[in-house]
Amino acid sequence: MNDTAATRRPEAGDHASSASGPWPVTLDNVTVRYPNGVVALKDVSLSIGAGEMVAVVGLSGSGKSTMIRTINGLVQPTQGSVTVGPHAMTALRGAALRRARGDIGMIFQSFNLADRTSVYRNAMVGRFSHTPTWRTLLGIATAEDRDIVMRALDSVGMLEKVWGRAGALSGGQKQRVAIARALAQEPAVMLADEPVASLDPPTAHAVMADLSDINADRGLTVLVNLHLMDLARQYTTRMIGLRAGEVVYDGPAASATDADFEQIYGRPVQQRDRLGEK
Amino acid sequence: MTAADATVAPGAALAIPPRPRTWPRAVAIGAALVAVTVATTIPAIGGVEIDLGAIARNWTNGLDRIGQMLTPDWSILPRTWQPLLETLEMALVGAAISAVLAVPLSLWAARPTNPNRVTRRAVRFVLNVVRAVPDLVYATVLVAMVGVGTLPGIITLILFDVGIVVKLVSEAIDSADAAYMEAGRAAGGNQTQINRVTALPQSWPAIASQVLYSLELNVRISAILGLVGAGGIGRLIDEMRGFYRYDALGTIVLEILVVVIAIEIASNLLRKRLR
Ligand SMILES: Nc1ncnc2c1ncn2[C@@H]1O[C@H](COP(=O)(O)OP(=O)(O)OP(=O)(O)O)[C@@H](O)[C@H]1O
Ligand SMILES: [Mg+2]
Repeated sequence: MNDTAATRRPEAGDHASSASGPWPVTLDNVTVRYPNGVVALKDVSLSIGAGEMVAVVGLSGSGKSTMIRTINGLVQPTQGSVTVGPHAMTALRGAALRRARGDIGMIFQSFNLADRTSVYRNAMVGRFSHTPTWRTLLGIATAEDRDIVMRALDSVGMLEKVWGRAGALSGGQKQRVAIARALAQEPAVMLADEPVASLDPPTAHAVMADLSDINADRGLTVLVNLHLMDLARQYTTRMIGLRAGEVVYDGPAASATDADFEQIYGRPVQQRDRLGEK
Repeated sequence: MTAADATVAPGAALAIPPRPRTWPRAVAIGAALVAVTVATTIPAIGGVEIDLGAIARNWTNGLDRIGQMLTPDWSILPRTWQPLLETLEMALVGAAISAVLAVPLSLWAARPTNPNRVTRRAVRFVLNVVRAVPDLVYATVLVAMVGVGTLPGIITLILFDVGIVVKLVSEAIDSADAAYMEAGRAAGGNQTQINRVTALPQSWPAIASQVLYSLELNVRISAILGLVGAGGIGRLIDEMRGFYRYDALGTIVLEILVVVIAIEIASNLLRKRLR
């Protein structure tokens, strides 16, 4: 048990992060050029403090996904460096990179669950980096791993479905399982790439509230890609605006004005940029 | 009335784009196919010689034998049980062993489950070679190597099954959306872990379906493997043919027909439940 997290509600699953407390995330002059020549990030430098909850906002194609993927090394920058807590992500390869990824949770727009297998096995994916390959091959989880997975599922209210098929769940339930999978990693940083873009408005609000609990109760640094301005304002404290691979806004989320959004989007604010209140 | 009212009034011309003319191309392709087919039957330019006259000369002979086969001699039936059972056993054992081998090989042969190009190509190449050799060639060579009996037959079936199951399953994995892989990678998993926990359960229906299909094919193939000494009912077929017992042959053919159809129906039913 370590108790570096600032505030922790007792009911929010009282298990510690394997990483020591929340971590800062730093991008230094990061440029990403894809093999097809598209420059998705242009010389981006950012510093995100430990325990911050940050929204990354921008139009489709502005480079939000690319930015989140460079942070956990799914995309390697062509220039610059990324640091997450003690890990110099850009310098890591192979087993060291996999271990570092184990400390960074990730949630996806399309949930990315294996639909034909159980909720339990999907959540077990979160234990990969802490599990020797032979154990995974034989399907023998340690009692500790099992416990961590069950707690993670319980904390998102999905314990009841633990033996059910992931494919049989609703979108909101799938995203909760995906969050449990990420929490089972016991990460220090949580990345979310448009986590609510495939959900209906009430479910979207519920999932955003889960993410904000993860930030407040577990004290994780949270980075969430959004394209809806009201969600950014409501649930995050800091907002980073991306436009054509460049940071065009960086400031408090709550006080961001429509004019700020017009600057990020490069066009007037439209109805579809808002989700609506819960 | 709503939709119709909104469209153009009768008589007004719609701006329909001209339909592209496709028939000249279709005719050209058809003509080319006919020409090539005809050319393959002209011995002067290296085509096969098809002697239609042989049918005319031997047709009474042929009719005679067909007539015999159509009046089956049921007394042979008791003698067929044992070899028929042997054929079914060969088919089942072959399919089961090939299924066990095909699981890891399919994962190694598909791109999402094996990003390493060198090993993936190596597995695919070996399997292409395995598939290229005709089953009767395997059986003949194996009979020479390990002797007459069911063993060479079973090995032949395993080679044949692994070839097709791995090809079909790995192609299914290649074309499936594998977003779950990304989650495994993001969680710090290695490819083996990702394959075991997510790719394998996702691929089960494809694997089971292709293994059942190979079982169907096995019954058919193992019926003739006996012709070269590789066990099963083919041995009896060969024997009866040697004695010109076409009436007994008719019984065996009918028997195989019934078994093949029964297995096909059962396997179709099972496969439907896999969806
Ligand atoms: N794997 C890739 N290969 C080549 N180009 C890519 C790849 N992934 C993204 N891009 C390009 O990089 C740019 C940024 O893409 P990215 O996915 O980061 O944008 P995004 O802000 O996440 O957009 P969206 O809101 O649609 O998800 C786009 O022009 C996209 O076409
Ligand atoms: Mg994106």
